[in-house]
Amino acid sequence: MSKIESGMESMIDMYIFETNTLLEQLDEILLKTEEAQTFTDEDINEIFRIMHTVKGSSAMMGFDELQYLAHKGEELFFIIREKPGQLDDVSFIYDLVFRMSDLFKAEVELIQGEEEYVATDFSDVIKDLEKGASMLTDGTPAAASAEVGTYADVEKEKAADCSGDGVMTVRIFFQEGCKMENLRSFMLLNKIREEADVKSFHPADLEGDPNASDVIIEEGFTVTFKAEHDENDSIIKLIENAINVESYEIIDSGSAPAEAAAEPVESEPAPAVVESAPAPAPAPAASAPPPPAPEPVAAPVPVPAANNQAAQLNTGKQSIISVNLAKLDQLHDIVGEIITTESMVISNPELEGLKLESFHKSARELKKLTDELQDTVMSIRMVPLAGPFQKMNRIVRDMKMKLGKDAELKIMGEDTEVDKTIVDSLNDPLMHLVRNCMDHGIETSVEDRLEKGKPAKATVTLNAVSSSGEVIITVSDDGKGIDCEKVLRKAEANGLLMKPPGEYTEREVQQMILLPGFSTNDVVTEFSGRGVGMDVVRDNIEKCGGSLTVESKQGAGTTFIIKIPLTLAIIQGMEVKVDTTVFAIPISTIRQSFKVRNDEIIQDTQRGEMIMIRGECYPIMRLHEKFAIPSEITDFEDGILLLVETDGKSVCLFADKLIGEQQVVVKPFPPYLGRYNIKGAGLSGCTIMGDGSISLIIDVANLIEAY
Amino acid sequence: MANGSSLFAQNIKTSDKKAGRVEKEEEITKALTFAIGEQVYGVEIPYVLEILGVPKITRVPCAEVPYFIKGIINVRSKVVPVVNMRSCFGKEEIEYNEKTCTIIVALKDITVGLIVDEVLEVLSVKQKNIAKTPDLNNVNENKFIEYILEMSDGIKLILDIKKIIFDHDLMLRLD
Repeated sequence: MSKIESGMESMIDMYIFETNTLLEQLDEILLKTEEAQTFTDEDINEIFRIMHTVKGSSAMMGFDELQYLAHKGEELFFIIREKPGQLDDVSFIYDLVFRMSDLFKAEVELIQGEEEYVATDFSDVIKDLEKGASMLTDGTPAAASAEVGTYADVEKEKAADCSGDGVMTVRIFFQEGCKMENLRSFMLLNKIREEADVKSFHPADLEGDPNASDVIIEEGFTVTFKAEHDENDSIIKLIENAINVESYEIIDSGSAPAEAAAEPVESEPAPAVVESAPAPAPAPAASAPPPPAPEPVAAPVPVPAANNQAAQLNTGKQSIISVNLAKLDQLHDIVGEIITTESMVISNPELEGLKLESFHKSARELKKLTDELQDTVMSIRMVPLAGPFQKMNRIVRDMKMKLGKDAELKIMGEDTEVDKTIVDSLNDPLMHLVRNCMDHGIETSVEDRLEKGKPAKATVTLNAVSSSGEVIITVSDDGKGIDCEKVLRKAEANGLLMKPPGEYTEREVQQMILLPGFSTNDVVTEFSGRGVGMDVVRDNIEKCGGSLTVESKQGAGTTFIIKIPLTLAIIQGMEVKVDTTVFAIPISTIRQSFKVRNDEIIQDTQRGEMIMIRGECYPIMRLHEKFAIPSEITDFEDGILLLVETDGKSVCLFADKLIGEQQVVVKPFPPYLGRYNIKGAGLSGCTIMGDGSISLIIDVANLIEAY
Repeated sequence: MANGSSLFAQNIKTSDKKAGRVEKEEEITKALTFAIGEQVYGVEIPYVLEILGVPKITRVPCAEVPYFIKGIINVRSKVVPVVNMRSCFGKEEIEYNEKTCTIIVALKDITVGLIVDEVLEVLSVKQKNIAKTPDLNNVNENKFIEYILEMSDGIKLILDIKKIIFDHDLMLRLD
């Protein structure tokens, strides 16, 4: 099916969001298990669940190819799950599954795209998945038949899913230390027999075999049955409510128990494993404890415990909802409106001169509430950096493979929160920086590292800390550092030098790598140095209001420092007045504000004005001249000077007077004015003030640039 | 403006009543009419968001912003640029008075305020009122005109909002 069914459009967003989240989870688990070189049961179950959910939702949306692909992945893990501990070489699985997850992501992106979605042919990777599956199942012919899965298979399962018809296999684990597992199994079996037609069970000899209990403890008690009246659900309930049952999982449901292609049938789509004892943590719906190691706290009566758990699962599911960003923006606008309207009411000129004691009391109350409302709305937009940070794991893994460098990624401060729009725009720059660290930063040969006394395994560190209104993100490596001489030579060759090479400080040279048209690497690799240089990274970061600098010590490593505002939407601003125009200057750029006497002003030869502060000379920029505002205040003694600084450059701004410090909600200039270079003139946006009028936000960096 | 208005040199008095009340012909759309000096213009109602007085305008102090864009205003927490239609049509600007209005128009996600001398009425546009004008595009001022309505109380020029919103250069060429 190449077209999205009509009526499904509204679900598409949800599907894309959910699938992407699941795929990221999948990547995370794979990376974790690859590190440990082993799959725990928990991991396998989790992966299995992800595959299954993706498969189910793809089927629901009518993306048959995706569904089939997920089905193949699910099958692979089904085999792995059936034979735990028998996996000698699992490394090929990672590549295979990563490849599948990449394809999936690309496909989801396609669906998301504007153009009409045309399904991609996955037959290559599906073939590989099948090959992988057969490698795993070597020697077990019963399962091997599974690889020849076709659409028919899937369809058949679907049918089975819907009707609940057919045979079901359930594996049951008992509480640890409940003793006599074999007898308990036997009793349970009898109960099931009353309701359903039991086909087979394992271990087969419950009463005679002295090891049966141990087998059940180790592997669980597996029973295959066919329910009468197609009511498998009632059997599940029976198992759920049985005494001392720790957990159970539905392994199989299909027309024949031996057919490994069959997938687990679940009464609800999400968890494959349902626990009946309370989980130690408010576990997400999916987490299943490793079956043979149950919690020491056993519920005395399992029935209420099961209900309890179900309730827990429910609340866990519903404590987070996803909201369309456009709606949040709308909410944010409305709150802004309320605040503006509120101050219009409270400071209404018609109230002047009236004695309004209780009015002012209520007004204060209202103000408190609206402030709180604004803070809350702001906090909704904040999301942790964990998302983009975790994605880097994957980058490091891939590059490690390709470049043959041994490295690990350390992540710190990933719970630091930033505005959603900023988090989204950080993905690309971070990826570029991490790649740069891996490719250029870390030494190519391990000997070089050992010689310098560094561990053979390199470390790339991602760190985020928030400090006073901004978040500082560092990407650092312990590699070879920036070779200043090489940079200088290159800069000279490219004609980037403004003064003789000898006059550059080390720091200045290091910043050069951020210039357009600069790459010290002579060889263009797959990962970096594709002509998209560090200047693009810098531009991207600056676009979201941040800055990028680099620090390096030759031989010890390089650190990229990204500073970004906590939120694009709000800045702390100092409001100044020039005639009737109000400007807001970001507080972070203001060093000091002061009054001067005319005799302190130094006139230079071009009629420029300067002032000496603490032995340093700063040029003065008259805001009224700069913005051509007819102001009556032209004498320095009547106005005020503000020393502003950004990126190491400073200037003194002359304004009529200070109004005060305020949090301002940044609004971009309307798109109608987009064709004019307002930013170049030194204005970054505007904001609506309490009285409903508009003030202009000064972009200090551009103002200095234009000076 | 010189040759533009001579084509429609009738002196149009503003009228509150709609002409031809017993029209049977189908209405195509409605138009909001307004005056710039003596001339009556109109914009089609679907583009009109609301009509305001003249709020406090904040000038955008950037040399590149052309003279006819007067600045930005706050329309219920939305920042909207305003264009003075007088200077846009190459006429002398006059001081704002109690009749001066800002018509907020929108095309897709772009919103603009048009400052006009006076807002007149909403009239219904019918096919038979649309004058046949073979060559609208050779007079500068007419480049903003989508079509001309001949009503019993005079001629109204219906503006092309797309050009007002996107064709700043056209406005500048009027100089």
